[in-house]
Amino acid sequence: MAIKTKTFIRRAEREDLDRVVAWMEDPDFQLFLYGDPARSPKQIREQIVSMLGRSSAQTVPGGLYLIIDSAEHGPLGLLSLQNISWRNRSCSIDLYMGNKEMRHKLTAGISFYRAMQYAFEELNLHRVNAYIYAFNEASWMILERMGAVRELTLPEHVARDGKLYDLYGYGLLRHEFVAFKEKNSHMVEDLVESMTGLNSEPAGKREKAAETDS
Amino acid sequence: MIKGAHSVIRSADPDDAGALKSVYDSQTPRSSLLDQRRELNPPTRDELREVMSQKEMGKAVFYTVEGRDGEICGFCCLRGLNPEAQFSEFVVIFLDETTFSTAMADEVFDFLSRLAFERMRNHKVVTHCLDSETEYRKFLISHGFESAGVQRDVVFSQGRWFNLEALTLRAADCTFADRRATDRGAIC
Repeated sequence: MAIKTKTFIRRAEREDLDRVVAWMEDPDFQLFLYGDPARSPKQIREQIVSMLGRSSAQTVPGGLYLIIDSAEHGPLGLLSLQNISWRNRSCSIDLYMGNKEMRHKLTAGISFYRAMQYAFEELNLHRVNAYIYAFNEASWMILERMGAVRELTLPEHVARDGKLYDLYGYGLLRHEFVAFKEKNSHMVEDLVESMTGLNSEPAGKREKAAETDS
Repeated sequence: MIKGAHSVIRSADPDDAGALKSVYDSQTPRSSLLDQRRELNPPTRDELREVMSQKEMGKAVFYTVEGRDGEICGFCCLRGLNPEAQFSEFVVIFLDETTFSTAMADEVFDFLSRLAFERMRNHKVVTHCLDSETEYRKFLISHGFESAGVQRDVVFSQGRWFNLEALTLRAADCTFADRRATDRGAIC
């Protein structure tokens, strides 16, 4: 089943740099992502800038930065596949919706679904990891709905505003994603159909934003 | 240098590279040797010598564990110190896994946990073990570590998948050797 929507993912390009850096400067970015104090925000920023700035793609990269884009709204967010291991066929995923108006479960869910399709069906990975802070319920709910299993609960593992919070580690195996697709094929179609005009426009102005074909 | 009844713990030096290389070359995959991608990429002896010639590898100091006869039995360190969240990764490697059930291992535990909780003021330590590291896991559980969960199919080696378990020990739950002895009714 292929899914066509107005949102799609693509490789990040040099022209995306300013936008991505602006997203990274949003306090939400540092609240929900890259809270690993072992790596300073400056280090993370330098890493992403370095990754986006590369002119030639490596054939077997250790990390990929993808832009969640929309013909209608332009770039919506950043998707990164990090620590790609070609031996273990695994990676870690981070997803950040930079466009706050689009920061709702449907867009994030579809984007995550597309990322999983890319990871399992194009990169031929076996496992995708996601580390999410306990307070970021909206994000881990999306993963759980897609069949990811909460494998780790690391208590008091991340510091935010002087408090310690738990960290959840999720794992989604290839066969679990396949099972999700098979079990929920109709739901996925419905989900995509329901995306029609979901981009916070008045109902009257909504256009059909999603089409599904088999 | 820390001299215990059963061990001597000292900072690692480049001459210890051969012993560490033998751990990489052993048939048993060790969680502590996995890199950030959870891959086992054995370094050369020269690379290990170079790394061990640095007094401080980042913020981690690597220690060599010797028997009282001077034979190298293993290594230990705290790495990945997270100063904001106040935890670090607890790593113990023995050349022979059966050493985990000996008094030498207890001394290493005491040394590392005191370093983590008393000197570095960590509120917890984290460690990992593969499902094949049964002796290491027993050692951890016996010293109060609690499982934080198991990640499935994380490492592919020797034609099969290995699961990786994360375990944590909070400072409040840590019992040092003198306290353990007291709890057992020993006269101090």
